[in-house]
Amino acid sequence: MATAFRATTRGYRADLEQHERRLLSSLCADVIELLESREDDAASNDAGSRNAAEDPAFAHFRAELAGLGGEEPLEPPEDDVLRRLLPDASTDPEEAGHFRRLSENSLRGAKIADLRTARMLLESTPVTMDEELAPVFGRALNDLRLTLASRLQLNTAEDAERVHKLAVGASAKDTDSFMAEIYTFMTWLQETLFSAMTEFLPEHGTAAEGADSNGPDSHGTDADTASGDAGPGDSGPRDAGPESSGGAGTSSR
Amino acid sequence: MSSAEGSTLSREGTDLDSEFSQLLSAARPYQVVVWNDPVNLMTYVSWVFRSYFGHSKARAEQLMMQVHEQGRAVVAHGPREKAEQDVTAMHQYGLQATLEEAE
Repeated sequence: MATAFRATTRGYRADLEQHERRLLSSLCADVIELLESREDDAASNDAGSRNAAEDPAFAHFRAELAGLGGEEPLEPPEDDVLRRLLPDASTDPEEAGHFRRLSENSLRGAKIADLRTARMLLESTPVTMDEELAPVFGRALNDLRLTLASRLQLNTAEDAERVHKLAVGASAKDTDSFMAEIYTFMTWLQETLFSAMTEFLPEHGTAAEGADSNGPDSHGTDADTASGDAGPGDSGPRDAGPESSGGAGTSSR
Repeated sequence: MSSAEGSTLSREGTDLDSEFSQLLSAARPYQVVVWNDPVNLMTYVSWVFRSYFGHSKARAEQLMMQVHEQGRAVVAHGPREKAEQDVTAMHQYGLQATLEEAE
């Protein structure tokens, strides 16, 4: 039985059983394969892109160029999971297609890299990771959850309840109840990881929060300076200014 | 990629960009919208808002609750290029995010 993620002096750690690690790792491999299949789709979608299909690096270059040139929008994936992992960036389909042409390749690459890192971390027990790798593992775990949720057609809060009941109630194991059980396990694991990670975030934030309201007071030079040279984790007490301007931005919404 | 480095860089970018756009008054402002879904955990969404945008705990939780209860929330404003970066970053975290022109 797995134990929750907890903070250690060197990062985070969870004790996972071998079959749990293998299961998560093989799910990562499945999602990597799915994401890679999209590369072929997107390339073959391109009219006259035989060279691009032969050379992934060239395909990427072409896609970037096409995006910059504002050429043909790229259609969203037909597969539900891929559409969830690589979502539209606009509610306007044409705008979304142009954005997709420009950015989908790099988003897909980033997700594949996250999942590969997660597989590497899952090779040893206990599963340990430093501060830098924890968000990477967390993102990969989230993508696995999104994948299973999509396959289980989990689209509403009611669906979430149905999946939960499926996970805890089923004694006869069919595919759906098995997926629901894994989904629930990963939800728990992710929750424990981010609960532990949250402890280490600065309470008052690091941003000049007035700036994100775009309000008339968003050009405060003190706040800009404070956020400009604050490294992650070393902001802390002197952020009293941004916090109070954040309050102002909040009430104006 | 390293999210910590990325967020520090992009915050610097925001400050510079917003100064330039105020000077030039040319770039139209865009906003980043995050949409509700039943999969992303509240803990996770708050963590992303705090870690990526550098929001305070209170502000991040308020935005997270707004997404949860109202179906969407504007989580960032800025010039288009910055907003595009933010949307892609949200997608990398698995959040449903879109770009729109600010009202």
